[in-house]
Amino acid sequence: MVTKNYPDPKLNEKLRDRYYRRDQSKPEFTKAVREISGTMAHMCYQCGTCTGGCPSAPRSTYRIREFMRRGVLGLDQEALTDPDLWLCTTCYSCTDRCPRDLAPTDVIMAMRNLAFRQDIIPVNFLKTVQAIYSSGHGVPNNDVNRAAREKLGLTRDPPTTHMYPEYIKGIQKILDHYNLKANADRIVKEREG
Amino acid sequence: MTTERKYAFFLGCIAPNRYPGSESASIRTSKKLGIDLVPLEGASCCPAPGAFGSIDLNVWYAMAARNIVLAEQMGLDIALICNGCYKSIYEVNHKLKHNKELRDAVNEVLKEIDMEFKGTIDVWHLAELLYDPEIVGVEKIRASVKVPLKGTKIAVHYGCHLMKPKKERHMGSTEAPHWIEELVEALGAEAVEYRNKMQCCGAGGGVRGYDLAHSLDITNEKLQNIVEAGADAVTEVCPFCQLQFDRGQIEIEEKFGIRYNMPVFHYNELLGLAQGMSPEELGLDLHAINTEPFLKKVL
Amino acid sequence: MAEAVSPTTSEKSKAPRIGVYICHCGTNIAGSVDISAVEEYARTLPNVAHVDNYQYMCSTPGQGKIEESIKEKGLTGVVVAACSPRLHEPTFRTATKEGGLNPFRFEMANIREQNSWVHMHDREGATEKAKDAIRIAVAKASLLEDLYPKSVPVEHAAMVVGAGVAGMQAALDLANAGIKTYLIEKAPTIGGRMSQLDKTFPTLDCSQCILTPKMVDVGRNENIELMVNSEVEEVEGYIGNFDVTIRRKASGVLSPKEAEARGIVGGGCTGCGDCVPVCPVTKPNPFEMGMAPRKAIYIYHPQVVPLLYTIDWDSCVKCGLCVEACGEKKAIDLEMQDELVKVKVGTVILATGYELFPIENKEEWGYKRYENVITSLEFERLICASGPTGGHLVRPSDGTTPMRIAFVLCAGSRDNTGIGKPYCSRFCCMYSLKHAHQIIEKIPGAVPYLFYMDIRSFGKAYEEFYYRIQDEGAKFIRGRVSNIQEDPKTKNLYVYAEDTLLGRPMELEVDMVVLAAAVQPTDLTNKTRKLFGVSCSQDGWLLEAHPKLNPCGTTTAGVYLAGACQGPKDIPDAVAQAEGAASAASIPIHKGEVELEPYYAMCIEEKCAGCGMCVNLCPYSALSLVEKDGRTVMQVTEAKCKGCGTCGGFCPGGAIWMNHFATPQILAQIDAFLIGGEQ
Repeated sequence: MVTKNYPDPKLNEKLRDRYYRRDQSKPEFTKAVREISGTMAHMCYQCGTCTGGCPSAPRSTYRIREFMRRGVLGLDQEALTDPDLWLCTTCYSCTDRCPRDLAPTDVIMAMRNLAFRQDIIPVNFLKTVQAIYSSGHGVPNNDVNRAAREKLGLTRDPPTTHMYPEYIKGIQKILDHYNLKANADRIVKEREG
Repeated sequence: MTTERKYAFFLGCIAPNRYPGSESASIRTSKKLGIDLVPLEGASCCPAPGAFGSIDLNVWYAMAARNIVLAEQMGLDIALICNGCYKSIYEVNHKLKHNKELRDAVNEVLKEIDMEFKGTIDVWHLAELLYDPEIVGVEKIRASVKVPLKGTKIAVHYGCHLMKPKKERHMGSTEAPHWIEELVEALGAEAVEYRNKMQCCGAGGGVRGYDLAHSLDITNEKLQNIVEAGADAVTEVCPFCQLQFDRGQIEIEEKFGIRYNMPVFHYNELLGLAQGMSPEELGLDLHAINTEPFLKKVL
Repeated sequence: MAEAVSPTTSEKSKAPRIGVYICHCGTNIAGSVDISAVEEYARTLPNVAHVDNYQYMCSTPGQGKIEESIKEKGLTGVVVAACSPRLHEPTFRTATKEGGLNPFRFEMANIREQNSWVHMHDREGATEKAKDAIRIAVAKASLLEDLYPKSVPVEHAAMVVGAGVAGMQAALDLANAGIKTYLIEKAPTIGGRMSQLDKTFPTLDCSQCILTPKMVDVGRNENIELMVNSEVEEVEGYIGNFDVTIRRKASGVLSPKEAEARGIVGGGCTGCGDCVPVCPVTKPNPFEMGMAPRKAIYIYHPQVVPLLYTIDWDSCVKCGLCVEACGEKKAIDLEMQDELVKVKVGTVILATGYELFPIENKEEWGYKRYENVITSLEFERLICASGPTGGHLVRPSDGTTPMRIAFVLCAGSRDNTGIGKPYCSRFCCMYSLKHAHQIIEKIPGAVPYLFYMDIRSFGKAYEEFYYRIQDEGAKFIRGRVSNIQEDPKTKNLYVYAEDTLLGRPMELEVDMVVLAAAVQPTDLTNKTRKLFGVSCSQDGWLLEAHPKLNPCGTTTAGVYLAGACQGPKDIPDAVAQAEGAASAASIPIHKGEVELEPYYAMCIEEKCAGCGMCVNLCPYSALSLVEKDGRTVMQVTEAKCKGCGTCGGFCPGGAIWMNHFATPQILAQIDAFLIGGEQ
């Protein structure tokens, strides 16, 4: 990219260099996406079938085809810093219909994994991690529900980690193996103080 | 009743912790159809495929594997009632069975908690067991009906992760399936077709948490199509979809000012009704959307 | 095992002296193989009397090297290490012959396709592999023997299977060249797919108008014997002498000629159609893609050739009303049986055509689920003046005229999912442009929307046609259709795609959708090709002998390909290939005899126990058991034998000698590979 360094920052932004140049492509990004997704992401021929049936596309600027293109060209920062990356509902319609037999949904998941490695992640994802770390459940039980369960003849807590908290230790070990809880706590703290 | 089949019942989170009636309905209706759902003690969140899959697929594999190993230790196949859980538990089980490299990596982690994935069991969605004539089948369900849901029109929402991606499942058409409609009609109700039936509910992939309005806008589109088709209720086989349609309607009203009052049932709740369970036994009072208008038609 | 001795040469003439020639092929071989190292190595091999290398061995000086050194060094065999024998074996055989040796004393070592091209980045490995290949070839060349090809006479007749435009053209060319030609067609009329089309791109001629004169020519040509309602049942023989059994399916109707043969003077079908109104059975007409009715006794359309009615036995109730209506012509025989006819021909052209693949398998577009989603062939019939609606394009759901019509291009083509076809179907872009033109021309105010990935308008005047249609008002949307939803009340269709050039998803409400469905070989293609021993590619299209230099031939001598059976083709390409195939098929017939490669099996009668197991194994029916000197022994019909080696490999007594692939030769190759130069 050509840096212009004009004194007026507004002009600098307005006239920002728009050329695609080869040095923006990171072949290792293309490779990483292919490996994590398990699909031949580099084979996309940009027909747009994915976006055409995507439930998120008509209500946002999210274009899964563009993410596929960024994967093909290795445009890592363009893909990973785009907030639209998190608008995929993982419905897999694009995967079922892709004529090249690719799995665009899994490409998105791979890119999200790569984004997380750069601490790019919405906090709601991390809060699920925190909830599971402490209770084993992403959506834990509460007192209203306990009462309702009792009325239905069920145990107040379901026979999961809720009723058998001794199992939570194992879950924590797995999450700690990947240092996931510590990372989640750190990022949430950075964002929310 | 002929031989009873036993399955380890994997609950997930939303059914036991938000719609417990769905949990008890599943156990009681299945019992009548020859399926014994045994508690899978110590199970956790599947874990949520959208959240964990997005963060690190390796954690997703390991966490799901732990749940699968619990069932392996009981020597039972898993049955579950949530599409999200199905994606995690079914898909990870399948991947670990067929990918040695992945299995070894996961077992390396499981070793820390004295567990090992062996690949000895299969994973089923209860809905597919109900439809399978070798196990239950539409005829047996029809025969178990005491209170036919006559005169009701029900729209089926299949959800996504039960059948898609098609190549990693085994349930046929993902564009125009009809088997859950058959299950609905076995209860005496009329299943109605509606535009874009296979569209997502909008909740998955972490979108509900990331951008609620976006997620509800998808739900709203589906509800419009369902209302257009003249449905009295929606049925699904996924508590997360259920949550999105049921509580989502309250949120839609808050955010968009549109009110539907469209009752939402997990299929097993409808099956419970048809087999004669009372609304109280099904915990229908816990639903966000009042089910009374629908119940009046059948009871 | 190794002591088996050729029945032709009881003693070795002289010690083998082999010449080895290594080709650089420019840098094709020399770029990844160390030629001088290979040359040095070759000199150390037993029996090698001469080694040389050259830039291009296939060039005139390269061939000259072989010819000269055979004479100078008294060589008995030649090894050229170069490309695939499929390319230059004939070249070097000729050079060997020019040098004074029997041409079958030549052996090729492939060090290009199977070596330098696949081991481009492994010079050391490629060099070692080239040494292996040469050592093996020398081992075989040391044991090669003189062989003499046999000539067989060629029957002065040809057969064309399939009477679409390609088959008709091929038959006409052969017939006009003075060759008796049997034209076999499974349908009741000739004409094929082209007769179902309304207009043709890019000239917009009426398809039937340009086709029917050809159909008439075929019907009238004295050298063409037309057999409709017919399928190939059995094939025996080989180039020059194919014995083909044709099943003529009972049509239930006699032609005037057939009536005369039965002694019915002045009888037979005149095509008057009196039988039709009385027939009580109504069925969909397949020619109209099922969109118009026909009776159990029917013709496809008024211009059929031959103009003879046909009975559909699956629906005929044999009430006899048609027989009554036919009256004195006595053309209808409700008890008619299939007939097996045997003909002998010298060469055969397969022209079995294409059909649309079952596009309903791509469920996202709703064909057979949504009434107003139709295929391109259905569109052709609906827009055609002689079609079921008299050329008025209407919606199947309500008979109204559609004003907004979406065309889905690449509908199942360029599809790697396993449901569609991985290849480009080649003519869908162009006919979809033509469809767009027809709509604009016939329905004022109607707008065609073409959803495309690439418009492939590669033919002569095709790009200009694209320009013209865009100018006429067709809308082009660069995006593949993701899915289609039907409004259950209006039966209108919502087409979902992304306009990839705008980067916006689109929802287009239209009245009708036309799917430009991928094409595939016709249902009988596979059966027919197997009868003639022709290979097919993975996707079922018949395999040409060479994709560039022999596109009309097949690997079975005497069998040629014309039209879309070899791969999707538009009309000009199909006709051009048909003319090429006809020319190729006429050459052996005009020469009058063909030389057969002398790779046939031979029986070593002293060793043959007459068990006959080989007779049953032979895929070409080339073997039989005969009495000789009071013993039962096997006998080979050399012209039928393809030298496949099935019998030779199986014979428990080692009594079968495979010329040019004899057991001692093959064992020598294996020994050379496994234990080096020693034999």
